[in-house]
Amino acid sequence: MRKPLSMIAAGFALVLSACGTSSNTAGGSPAPAAPITIGVSLSLSGDFSGDGKALQQGYDLWAQDINAKGGLLGHRVTMKYVDDASSTQQVVTNYQTLITQDKVALVFGPFSSLLTIPASTVTDRYGYAFPEPAGGGPKVFAQGLHSIFFVQPAAVEDNLVSYTKFLLSLPSDQRPKTAAYATEDDPFTQPQIDKAKSLLEAGGITTASYKVYPAEATSWDALALQVVNSKADVAILGTQEPDAVAFVKVFQQQHYNPKSIIETTGPDQGKDFADKVGANNTEGIMVPAGWTSSAKAYGNEKFTIEFVAKYGGAFGDISADAAEAYSVGQVVEQAAQKANSIDNKALITALHSGTYQTIQGPMSFDSVGKPQGGVGVYLEQWQGAQAIFVYPSSVAAAKPEYPKPNWP
Amino acid sequence: MSGARTFAITPGRATLKRLALLVVAIIALLLPVIAPDSATTGIAVFTVMYVGLASAWNIMGGYTGYISLGHAAFFGFGAYSFGLMLNYLNMAPGYLPFVLVPVAGLLTAALAIGIGWVALRTRAATFVIVTIAFMFMLQLLGENLVKLTGGGAGLALSYSHEWGGDFFNIPYYYAMLALAVLTVGVSWWIRRSKFGLGLLAIRDDEDKALAVGVPTRSFKLTAFVISALLVGMIGAVYAYYVTYLYPQFAFDPLIGISMVLMAFLGGLGTVSGPVIGALLLEPAQLEFAYHFGASRLYLVFYSAVFLVVILLMPRGIVPSVTDLVQRRRRSAAGPTTPTRGSREAVKAASP
Amino acid sequence: MTLVLEAAVLGILTGGVYALMASGLTLIFGVMRIINVGHGALVVLGAYLSFALFRSLHMDPFLSLVVTMPAMFALGVVLQLVFIRPLKTDREALSVLVTYALALGIEGVLGYVFTTNFVELRAWYENASFGIFGFHITWVYVFGFALCLLILGALFLMLYRTSFGGAIRATMLNRTAAQLIGVDVDRVAAIAFGIGVATAAAGGVVFGITNAFNPGSHYDLISRLLTIIVLGGLGSLRGAVIAALIMLVSEDITQVLISPVWANFVFFVILVVILIARPQGLYGVRVRDRI
Repeated sequence: MRKPLSMIAAGFALVLSACGTSSNTAGGSPAPAAPITIGVSLSLSGDFSGDGKALQQGYDLWAQDINAKGGLLGHRVTMKYVDDASSTQQVVTNYQTLITQDKVALVFGPFSSLLTIPASTVTDRYGYAFPEPAGGGPKVFAQGLHSIFFVQPAAVEDNLVSYTKFLLSLPSDQRPKTAAYATEDDPFTQPQIDKAKSLLEAGGITTASYKVYPAEATSWDALALQVVNSKADVAILGTQEPDAVAFVKVFQQQHYNPKSIIETTGPDQGKDFADKVGANNTEGIMVPAGWTSSAKAYGNEKFTIEFVAKYGGAFGDISADAAEAYSVGQVVEQAAQKANSIDNKALITALHSGTYQTIQGPMSFDSVGKPQGGVGVYLEQWQGAQAIFVYPSSVAAAKPEYPKPNWP
Repeated sequence: MSGARTFAITPGRATLKRLALLVVAIIALLLPVIAPDSATTGIAVFTVMYVGLASAWNIMGGYTGYISLGHAAFFGFGAYSFGLMLNYLNMAPGYLPFVLVPVAGLLTAALAIGIGWVALRTRAATFVIVTIAFMFMLQLLGENLVKLTGGGAGLALSYSHEWGGDFFNIPYYYAMLALAVLTVGVSWWIRRSKFGLGLLAIRDDEDKALAVGVPTRSFKLTAFVISALLVGMIGAVYAYYVTYLYPQFAFDPLIGISMVLMAFLGGLGTVSGPVIGALLLEPAQLEFAYHFGASRLYLVFYSAVFLVVILLMPRGIVPSVTDLVQRRRRSAAGPTTPTRGSREAVKAASP
Repeated sequence: MTLVLEAAVLGILTGGVYALMASGLTLIFGVMRIINVGHGALVVLGAYLSFALFRSLHMDPFLSLVVTMPAMFALGVVLQLVFIRPLKTDREALSVLVTYALALGIEGVLGYVFTTNFVELRAWYENASFGIFGFHITWVYVFGFALCLLILGALFLMLYRTSFGGAIRATMLNRTAAQLIGVDVDRVAAIAFGIGVATAAAGGVVFGITNAFNPGSHYDLISRLLTIIVLGGLGSLRGAVIAALIMLVSEDITQVLISPVWANFVFFVILVVILIARPQGLYGVRVRDRI
């Protein structure tokens, strides 16, 4: 193991790093039943660090579960996390180092979807399977890599499809006439909004306003005012958490009461969201969600109970990020059993066929890693200070509240 | 004289220097043979990249004293022009696309003429900030010209799938190395040329330089454009290496600041300073984040190291060490007044 | 048209806080000829201090300034003594690096203590608004704007009506000459830095109540503040105020008329055009830069 500080002291880093590592074998599968390490690069500092921690919790919980069962095909699992500081250089370096120097047996995906693509080209080069919980934009699949697997119920752009179906299923006298769209120019949010817009326009709902705003913005008031001024019947917003809160606040301040509000991220953050906008103000707000703590999916009950036991809090506070990370582990576990191997090549072959059970529901993967045949993304709505599944009716815990009640 | 070497060259020193250079050259050339694993070559690609970047930045920032914090503009522009050319020409990935690197450099140089024309109307602190502003303008263009650049969703470059595993880094390593050697060579040549003398005169006192007949405007612009050209080429190789560009990572202010920091650490305005600064800082930074990033105190450590270095060695490693060695020698040879760097010498000489 | 008017009003209200933050930055530059790249981080630190006071003692964010401003003033004086004063050669360039390192350090500590999740300052009246000309204006914006005016007013009074202000202005004009007429330049520098940092605390509160922030917010903030003070003319308080208003109003109007994604760009274009005509900025004085 090299020690970076001694490198600085020695003052000739290149020489040292050249001498310090001598082996040149790519990480293959280790001897049977030997303990293995799974490597992950997470954004623990920098722009995207917010959710890195939730992901880590999900991975850790899975590792704990699998070890309790005697390991992954008998191999005891240790997780190794390194920080990519939300930078491309670092994420590329990290996966190279994890694979060639730490010789991890498997790699899992990073948090930020932006870093998933550069990371996947590296892992692909070494023939590693790359199951990942966060990068599901169209560009991820456009790469055409066979080693990447997006472990969520649907590709990101399809997240709002359930919502459009719900709106268009309303009786024509209740159906909204106009919609206002605003989205960050982010590969996670914008594809969702664009797809929703085209589906709703095809369904006869007029676009009153469509605005794209920079992902780096920290003040959204002027923008929210434009949505307000469009006086649209529904507001469809491609947000992350801070702007999701800001939109709700401005709508309330301006006494703008659309019949329905949906935000791509934010309202799914449980108590955190309710605290920020005020619990009374949450009523009727919608969010697409692939996972909920109360869903009757494979292993979900065990996951939620263990999660709360390990990290505290309430069921409703568990971040979907943690559930997605846990699902990555579940998928790999089943693939390993099916292939009866933890060799990456065997895992990749296994993952391209069959259906995998996760706490987000069953899913399978096409040749470029896009999730298929899953149940899709549902619709969650805040009712009585709690976010619950309301659509489709097959999973709904309550009927959707429409139109959304006015602000208190 | 402002252009005089900052230290006296004695035959013993020169031999030592040549020997050191030879060792570095051999190690650099043979690195992929000595340590073919990609953990090492990967770090080496970025390290050599920064050797080039810091040296290229130094041609403007170090020699003329005009501190540009926006050189990431040229890095990102070179990267995007390379990526766009590669995609539009539909070139097969492999060795051939490397011929686009100089083209990307020339495009960047053309851009630098325009930016330089505006930015170099200002001086000192204003110049620093104007360069940052230009960098953000280019970043915004990268984000907003969605049809051309793909916007925030990024731009994918094709790359060779035949270069698998540990081999992949090696072509990029040599490409970066070639550019770094070119940059250091240019930097060395300028330092010894009449043009370089003019630049140093601008750094010491621009008004006086103008008064004694240095064509300051065209000299500054030339240095700026040469610096940008080299940075643009390095950006192009970077783009091809990482295979995927996002505006916020290609036009990353931290890249701009890193090159400045490395040049300062090693010694501003010296040929070897930026090289040493980059060799120390980049691997240390990558390793540091890798091993300690998860501790979340990584930034605090980094900033502390940074502060200590600046406060203890404000002039950088190379001038500080040179001074130390010289003082030792002088005290061995007998008491004389220690000569300082060229700037102080000029300042002392001028009333 | 209403939209444009609304955007302009909002721009002026939010411009106030940028004027305040930029004033501190330009004051520091004027007195010491250093670019305090850590100013954005200090603003964020100020916001977090108020956030901590709210979280632990439920103190109103505006009220918490009574605690945070003196604390930040003291911090500013200490930072100046420890990190800025020792810089003897090449101050202008080295100070950029030192203050950048300070910014990273502050970001790191804040990230460690508060995590990097986005937070906002809260007050019970945060959603209260009043109607005027057919649109609603939120009271916190008005309070924030009023606070900024108050502090800016105090700053101007101090500079132009007190003898210490005279010493500051003398130092800004010519450091050596000020020294010759008996101004304790080092003391002026330390106190001016303290004042600049204290205004950052106030700016932090207003910024934090109208924006979501996390420890990394300082990058965006400092790049905006730097362009503001260059447009206004380095070292000019009046220039900083005017430039801040130009920035926010032009951004908000661009958002409405063109698109939010071009909002920053338009400001940069204004900056470049003005610098071509007046390289010293709106209110800057063309001086020999190297002293």
